[in-house]
Parts: sequence; structure tokens; C-alpha cells
Amino acid sequence: MSTLHEFLSRWAGPARWVGLGGAVLVMVAAFLPWAYLPAALDNVTYYGEPSILQWLGFALGFVTAACLVASPILAAKASPRTRRLLNLNRGATAAATASLVYQAIAAIAVALELGGLITLEPGAWLGVVGAAVAALATRALHAGSDARLRYLPTPAWAQILGIVVVLALVLVAAAYGLGLEDPGAFVAFGTFCGLAAWVLARVGIMGWISAAAAANRSALVLASFVVAFVFPFTQNGSDANMSIAAGVLIFAATAMGLNIVVGLAGLLDLGYIAFLGAGAFTAATLSESAFATLGWHPPFPIVMLIAGCVSALLGLLIGSPTLRVSGDYLAIVTLAFGEIFRITMNNLDGSDGPNITRGSNGIPAIPNLDVFGFNFGESHVIAGFDIGRFANYYWLLLLVLALIIVVFVNLNKSRIGRGWVAIREDERAAEAMGVNVFGLKLLAFAGGAFLAGVAGSVKAHVDVSVTPDQYVFMESAFLVAGIVLGGMGTVGGVLVGAAILKLLPEKLRFFEDYRLLLFGLLLIVMMRFRPEGLLPDQRRQLEFHAEDDELAEEADAQALPDLATAGAALSATKEDRA
Amino acid sequence: MTTQVQITDEILVEEPLLSARQVTMQFGGLTAVNKVDLDIHPGEIVGLIGPNGAGKTTFFNCLTGMYQPTAGQVLFAGAVLPPQPRKVAVAGVARTFQNIRLFHNMTALENVMVGRYARTKTNAIEAILRLPRHRREEAETREVAQQWLDFVGLGDAAESLSRNMPYGDQRRLEIARALALEPKLLLLDEPTAGMNPQETREAEELITRIRGLGMAVLVIEHDMRFIFSLCDRVACLVRGEVLIDDVPEVVQNDPRVIEAYIGSPVDMPGEQEEAPRPDVSTLAPSKPVLEFPPNAINPIIGHRTKPGGRKDA
Amino acid sequence: MDLLIQQLINGLSLGALYALIAVGYTVVYGIVQLINFAHGEVFMMGAFGSYTTWMLMGSPTNLSIGVALGLVLPAMILGGVLVSVGTALLMERFAYRPLRNAPRLAPLISAIGLSIGLQEAVRLFYGQIPGFPDSRRAIPFPVIEGLTGRSIQVGGVTIQHSAIFTLGALLICAALLWWFVNKTRMGRAMQATSQDADTARLMGINVDKAIATAFAVGAALAAVAGVAHGLRYNNIDFQMGFMAGMKAFTAAVLGGIGNINGAVVGGLVLGIVEAMATTYIPGQFGSSAWKDVWAFAILILVLVFRPQGLLGAKVVDRA
Repeated sequence: MSTLHEFLSRWAGPARWVGLGGAVLVMVAAFLPWAYLPAALDNVTYYGEPSILQWLGFALGFVTAACLVASPILAAKASPRTRRLLNLNRGATAAATASLVYQAIAAIAVALELGGLITLEPGAWLGVVGAAVAALATRALHAGSDARLRYLPTPAWAQILGIVVVLALVLVAAAYGLGLEDPGAFVAFGTFCGLAAWVLARVGIMGWISAAAAANRSALVLASFVVAFVFPFTQNGSDANMSIAAGVLIFAATAMGLNIVVGLAGLLDLGYIAFLGAGAFTAATLSESAFATLGWHPPFPIVMLIAGCVSALLGLLIGSPTLRVSGDYLAIVTLAFGEIFRITMNNLDGSDGPNITRGSNGIPAIPNLDVFGFNFGESHVIAGFDIGRFANYYWLLLLVLALIIVVFVNLNKSRIGRGWVAIREDERAAEAMGVNVFGLKLLAFAGGAFLAGVAGSVKAHVDVSVTPDQYVFMESAFLVAGIVLGGMGTVGGVLVGAAILKLLPEKLRFFEDYRLLLFGLLLIVMMRFRPEGLLPDQRRQLEFHAEDDELAEEADAQALPDLATAGAALSATKEDRA
Repeated sequence: MTTQVQITDEILVEEPLLSARQVTMQFGGLTAVNKVDLDIHPGEIVGLIGPNGAGKTTFFNCLTGMYQPTAGQVLFAGAVLPPQPRKVAVAGVARTFQNIRLFHNMTALENVMVGRYARTKTNAIEAILRLPRHRREEAETREVAQQWLDFVGLGDAAESLSRNMPYGDQRRLEIARALALEPKLLLLDEPTAGMNPQETREAEELITRIRGLGMAVLVIEHDMRFIFSLCDRVACLVRGEVLIDDVPEVVQNDPRVIEAYIGSPVDMPGEQEEAPRPDVSTLAPSKPVLEFPPNAINPIIGHRTKPGGRKDA
Repeated sequence: MDLLIQQLINGLSLGALYALIAVGYTVVYGIVQLINFAHGEVFMMGAFGSYTTWMLMGSPTNLSIGVALGLVLPAMILGGVLVSVGTALLMERFAYRPLRNAPRLAPLISAIGLSIGLQEAVRLFYGQIPGFPDSRRAIPFPVIEGLTGRSIQVGGVTIQHSAIFTLGALLICAALLWWFVNKTRMGRAMQATSQDADTARLMGINVDKAIATAFAVGAALAAVAGVAHGLRYNNIDFQMGFMAGMKAFTAAVLGGIGNINGAVVGGLVLGIVEAMATTYIPGQFGSSAWKDVWAFAILILVLVFRPQGLLGAKVVDRA
């Protein structure tokens, strides 16, 4: 790659014009048809009337062109200070590369859905070729140093406005993406979202946004919650998408609980699903279902509490003997525990044991929740919008998720969180410094179990029936995969991981069979190339890259409190390196 | 077998803070530490020397609860120290490690804040709900940790990742982390290993200031000049037993000590040329081996025991 | 009395199966302190490898006992060993070796990925080979004349030929392994590496090769176990490695992980305990539906009361 770059960089001058040409081709391509038939990508067959997906392709081309044009102007006209805020050369390279990926994926999707390359119309070819030219040409540009927009002093209102705009875009994107029926269109759109975030990061805008987010944490939290709360109103009463969204939330809430155990305390729990199951079975046996085996039906808030406690008790039971031994054992013991749980639930059917769970039949017909007179099973009309059953549960699950996030964040920021980091870094040194290693591990383990139990009690009602085969090892593996994919130890990471792992299979039914295989490969590849996940916790990233001193220095530079100093320090180190 | 503990006049009046009585540690058939008696009084700096393999680190581990002595006991402030590192730390005995064991991906300040763990009480519920005690203790922890960083001279490095800090600073940070526990006794395992003379002088000055806070200090060291100029009392451990325990002037000139380090006088010639360096294992990986100025080399620094000598377990 | 002896023999033959797999966990753990979570899938690959060999030989049936035992069975074992050793070596080279200095969580998660990936690969693709049976369901294992379905009767006790095969295989493998580890150059290199990899490297030992050998040795034994499993249960499936692997891991911990003799003893003890539990635990909890629960309960009890295992493990905790 570097030799290619060396070769190309001799042509940096003309490359800008070639790249611009490529970008223009990409933009023109958006106005030409991409497919022969309307069945692919939600219809991309018109001349001069781009569909939304074609407009997205146009946007990438436009950004490439804009970066290419603006970069020399910025270099010539702006003060050195302003010039450094954005890195437009890098942005151009990223946008052109993103264009290529996007155009290629769109073309492949059309070819797969309509049957062969013959179904591609000139627009698709033009887009791919133009993007390829642009991507190659922009590689010749001088990459330059990191953008420093993140250090730009910005008034608080502008930062908050930025956060609101980003979240509004997220909402629009989520609503639009969920509405896409066509698998190819869904993949193309998902890819576009990822690519757009990447391009913004390369230009330097993402840095500014994350700095703004860090500076206005409460505004960010509030705005995200509002966005998540508003989401059902974008669905026009469609319960199908809300059911998927509820599934995502259950998964996210459970994974967030597991993230306390794995991401914060560093304990690999491979039987976590059992705690969710324990909560679900507890709620089911205490519910008003005709098949419930216990005659006691307390109100749901109490059931939630009991479910959490039952799970936490199991956590204590399994954790107190095993948390003293090495971490590797814990992984296997929790796996064994997961199996014990599944087998036991299967056996408590009245013939192999007392009848509590009705064995493999499970407990069906769990009625909808009715809390304080609000029936979750009924549709409600709020402000003219139809709010269906799953939307009701979606809101409840949102509360549960918020609760778990609060627990996660506040523990992480306390002395307990520091103790967990210390244990992860050097258990014996932590012990010698007076950190209660065993106590903190047990707290994470049992606390995580409690939260899973709470989530499970809601899941029982959402799913209507609870059976042992919903709580098998593979589900635990998915949860771990979600955390690993998103990023260990971060809230955003888990949400992203949960969204990807739950949404993709829902939208891509045709590859359901290959789902597990892909997850297995994903875990291996992630561990090999990006063990810290997509949105990593900075400390975790450092832990996974113990030999990377440059990364550590960068982390240091970013930790400096004063923005101006940080900028100066950064420019100094970068200059030295260059 | 054992040498009686000699107590100098000035500290005779006080009760010992830490008192090791007949501490013995056996590994299988191997006796690494044999009936060791050692008293440390409040505000005292005691040096523990001995050739490699003499059992210093094993004895250290008996004091810090890493090992439970096979026989004998360790009394701290009148009570038997429990054989658990955490309880020892909570009781008021803090330590540093021979090979630095900082939390590398935490900042200097966070490292010291971990040292405050045992001195704060916020529980999970209070932390989750951010109740007043959590907020008060967090602010206090931060402030106290910063004070300890200032105390060891790292006040400006609070936000540096500890893994990026220079070697000498890491040693000082480890001391700050231990001090944050507010111990009554500080155990330092080779605090100047790998330091240059300038840093060694600073360490000496730092330890003297720590004593000024009223803490007692026990130091394991190979740098004899450092030990003899710093300590009130020096105990020499040879083959698991206390050879002598007295004021530095006496220990320094005791022929048995010199013999323990260099062997019988016949072995003397030629030994001098062999690398008079501290144990290589005490150096952090990838750090350059540090130079010792020629005049600082004491003939008894860091010589290895004769073949057949024990290794510290 | 007959019942006791019968269950003892059942337990021993089941335990021999566990022991053959457990050796793989223990050898690898001993040398790199890694729990090769995907070892159960190596065992499964061994079983499928032997089945593939049989298919490639033209799925011979109705053979004379001599041909079946002298030619077909050894070929199947060899084929299984090749496949499982190949799997293990690829796994080591591309998934574990790059992670040797990573935090311990990383190889463990990789191992889960491998485990799922291998199961799914077999489930999805094995049956796609023309002429091969659908691998989504259990595949009947070939009938080996003289072994399958045959048994001898001693008093009131029935001994399956497959049980004799398993126990015999364990004896031979254990002897070979003992010889290999203690008497060959590579065996000594492995021992040195497990003591201290850095020093071993300084002494001129090819540590990578020693570690790869440990994976290969474990895989070879797992392949033998795969054949024994097929003969014992008369079928194989893509999920067979999961439970067997967990049991074998339990056996390795029971014996003291890192200790090869311990793995054998642990396997046998676990097998006997399982057999006895289904016979002698009274009431509903004695039913065979609970036997896995008892096995895992033992795992947890061992970790609580004797984490170093029955025969004692290597001390891994380095201060």
C-alpha cells in the first residue's frame, strides 16, 4: 500500500483533477438508472429522477468533489490555524473510497436480486467506475495530519444543536432503514450509514461531535432518550417494526447487563442467558397464565423485583465458589451453569422432577401486563398516533434499558468502577492495595444477574410464552458477540452491537441459515483485528494493544484538560513525527 | 541460631509497630525463611539486606500476607496480621513491588485513587444513585490523591497514563499509590532498582519525608550506600536467618556481612570485575539498564550467592 | 453386585472416551495456559474425518472381520486423525498464535467463534458434497464388523465390543503419549516450553513448533475418541463436540488441568460417577435426564474444594 502511495504521490497535482472527474461521474450516475427492473433496491430504474438510495450515492460523490475543490482553497486562503481544523484531503480519500464501496454494494445487490450482471444499467457501471477512479486518484493526495476541529472552542448552544442534529439524523435513518423491505436496499443503506460516519470521522467532524457530546453529557443523554422515546410515532402504528425494535431493546438491555460483567469487571460469563431465563421463568410462574404452576400472582413491579432477586441469588450461588479461581475457569463454569439451567428447566416437568416449568413445553399464554390500569396489550391513540402492543412494551423496555445504563455508567464512574479497572489490569496489585477483589467480582456477577433477571421478567410478557429452548448457549454467545462487536465497556458500543446483531437477521431472512457461521467468523476476525470493538472504551483499547505506544501517547494527549494546550501538544508531536 | 534483636536506645521506649516473631517459611523441604525476628517501631526506617536468595522477598511476602508463615507469627499494632494481602493493606501496611506493578492503562491520578479504595466506603447503591456520600468521597478521593502526587513530586503528571511515564516516575507513583492507603508502615521492595544516582538521591529524600509523616518504612535494597545512609537500623538476612540487626555503622563493618556477600576472602580477587548490577529481573522490560557511576559501586553490591545458594521462591 | 460391575464397566468405557478428549485440553493448557474451548469441535471434526474416509473408500459394508478391523478401521482412524490434526493446526496458527500476547479474554472469545464456526461449517457444507448424507441431522456411523453391536457376556455382565475398543484405545494412546512426552526430543521441548516459554526459546527450542505439536497431539487423541464415539453411539452429528467437550474439560479439571495423567484419571472417574449417579441416586433425580447436571456439579465442587484437581495441577499463578 505504501509503495502504491509513494508512486501515486508524485502525481498529486493532476490527481486532484482526475479525482474530481471521478466524483462528477459518480454524481451523474445517480441520475441514470442502475437496474433493468424495478424489483431491486426499491426501484432505481428512472432517468433523471434519483431514488433515495441514488441520492445517497450522489451525496458521497458530492462530498468527494467538495473536499477536492475546497482543500486547495482552504490551504491558500485560510490562516494556518483554521487550515488545520479540517482535513479535507483525507476526507476526499475517505469519501471516494466510501463511494466505491457503496456503488459496488449497490451493484452487487442489484445483480444478486435480479440475476446477473446483465441486469445492471449504465448508471451502476458509471458509478462504480467513477468511484474507482476517484478512489485511486485521491490516494495520491498528501494525507496531512489529524484534523483538530475537536479542539475548536464552540459555544454550548452550538454543541447542543450539533448533538440534536446528529440524533435527529439517527432517528430519521432508523425509521427509514427499518421501513426498507428489500434486503439489498437495507444492506446498501446500512453500509451507507457506516460509511458516512467513517467519512465524517476522517474529515474531523466526528471528532467535534464526540467532543461536543463529551462536554454536554446530560444534553446528549436527554436528547437520545427523547429520540428513542419518539421512535414509535414514526411507525404509523405498524407493530411489525415495533416488535423488532422491542427485540433489539431486550437484547440491548441484557447485553448491557452482561457488559458490566465482561466489559467492566473483565469476567467472561458464558452462561448469562440463564439469568435472563431465570427471570423469565420466575415471571411466568408468578403470572396469571393458566399454566403457571404457582398460585401466587403479585403485581408486576414486585414480580420484577423477585425475578431480579432469584437471578442474583443464582449468581451468588454460582459465583461465590468460582470467582476465586482463575478467570478461564469462570468462562467454562458459567457455560456449565448455563447447561445445568437449561437441563433443569427441561426436567422440572413433573416426571423427572417436581412440576414447576412444565418441562420442554414451557409456560404459554402469559397474559399482557396490566400495571396501574394500563394494559400493555391494547392499542392506544396518543396525539393522533396509533400506539400498538409492541410499542407499549418498547417504552417499558426503554425504561429497563435506561435503568441498566444508569447502573452501568454510575458504577463505572465510582470507586467500584476504578476497582474493576484495577482488577482487570493487575489483580494481585489491586489486592495488595486493599481492593476487595473477590467482593467486587461477586458484585459484578450477582449485580449483572439481577439486571438480567429484571429484563427477563419483561421478556416473558413480551414473548407470551417461556420455554427452555429460548435460553441456550448460543444466545449467550450472541450476547458476548454483541459486546465484542460494539465495544467492551461502552454504552454506545453495546447499543450498536445489539442493533446490528438483532436487525440484520430480521431484515436478511434469506441468509438466516448462515447467521451462526457468520457470527462465529465475526468473533474470530474481531479478536484478531479489532478486539476493542467498533466503539471502544479508550482504556479497553489500550489494554488490547499493549505494545502500541503511539496509541498510548495519543490517549495521553487527548487526556490533557486544556483544549488549547492539547492542540499545541498534538501539533508538536505530529510535527515531530512527520 | 538467631541473632537477638538489638534495640537502640532512642526507640527502646516505644512498643514495636510491627513485630515478626520466629517467622518461618518452608516450601516442601526447603526452608526459605528460618525463625526470623524483626521489630519495626513507629517512625523508624529499617533496611533489610542480604545476598540474592537470602529469603528477603519471601520474608516480605510473609509480612504482606502473600504467604502464610509455616511457623511463627507477625504482629502489627498488637494484633496478628491476617494472611490476606487485602486485609494486611487495610490494617495499615502498604507496599510497592520489586518489578513495578502499576495499573498501566490508568492515569497517574487514577492509580493513586485506587490506593484510596480501602479508605472510602461508598457502596454500590450509593454509587448508582449518586447519593451525597458518593459525591463527597469522590471529590475527597480526587483531592487526596492529587495531594499525594504532589507529595512525591508528580503533581503535574496527574493526567499521564502511567505506562507512558519515565521509569523513575513510575517508582515514585507506586509509592504515592501506597501512601494513599495512609499506612502506618510502608514496605518498599528495592525502591531504587534501576534508578540513576540523581533519582536515587531523590528517593532517599522522599523516604526521609515519608518518615517525617510519622510512618515507619521497611526497605529491601541492594544499594548499600543508599541503605546505610538512609536507615536507622539494618537487618542482614543470610540463608533465611537474621545474621545481624543493628545500626548501620555496626552492620557495615561486620565481617560476617561482608563474608556473606563476597564469600571467604580467598574468593575475592576477580569477583570485582563481574557485572556489579542489581538483579536483572528487577528492571522493567525495554528500559535501558541504568548506569552506576564508578564511585558509587560498593564491593558488596549485587553479587550472586555461591552455587548452591537458595533462590527466593 | 452384577449391577455394580456393569455400571463400573459402563462408566469406565464412557470415561475412557472423556479421557481421550480431556488430554487435548490438558496438553494445550499445560503449554500455553489457554483453554482451547474449540477442542470439542476438533473431536467432532475427527469423527467426520473418519466417516469421510469410509465414504471415500466406497462405503464398504458386509466385510469380513479381518478386513474390517485390519484395514477399514485403521484407515478411518488415520483419516480422522489427519482431519482433526489439520483443523487444530490451522486453528492454532491463524486464530490463537496472533493472540498469544493479547489479554486472556481475546483467545477465549476467538475460541467460542471457532467452536460456533466449525459446527456451522459442518452443518451447512458437509452435506453439500455430492453423495454425502445430510449433515443437519445425525449421520449413522458405519458398521464395523466385529465391533458394532457385538458384546460379550461375563456372568451377568454385558461388555460391548465398542467399550473394549475405547478402553484399549485409551491404553495404547496413553502409552504412546507417555513415550512421546518423556522420551522424544519434541516431547522434552514441549515440557521445557510449558515450564517457561521464554527460557525455552533462549535455549534454542522452537517454541511455536512445540505449541503446535501440543495442539496436534491433543487433536490426534480427540480423533480416536471421535471414532470411539461413533462406534459407541452408532451415529455422529455436528453438535456432538459441545457436550463431549464440556464433559472432557470437566474431566481435565477434575484430574488437575495441565497434568496428563490427571486427565486420564479424571476422565475415568467422571465416567464412573456419571454411570453410578443414574443408578444409585434415588427418586426422580436419579433419572438419566439429570446425569449431565451431576457431571457439571462435580466440576463446580472440584473448583471449590480442590481447584488443583485430584492429581494436582501445574501452578499457574506467577507472582
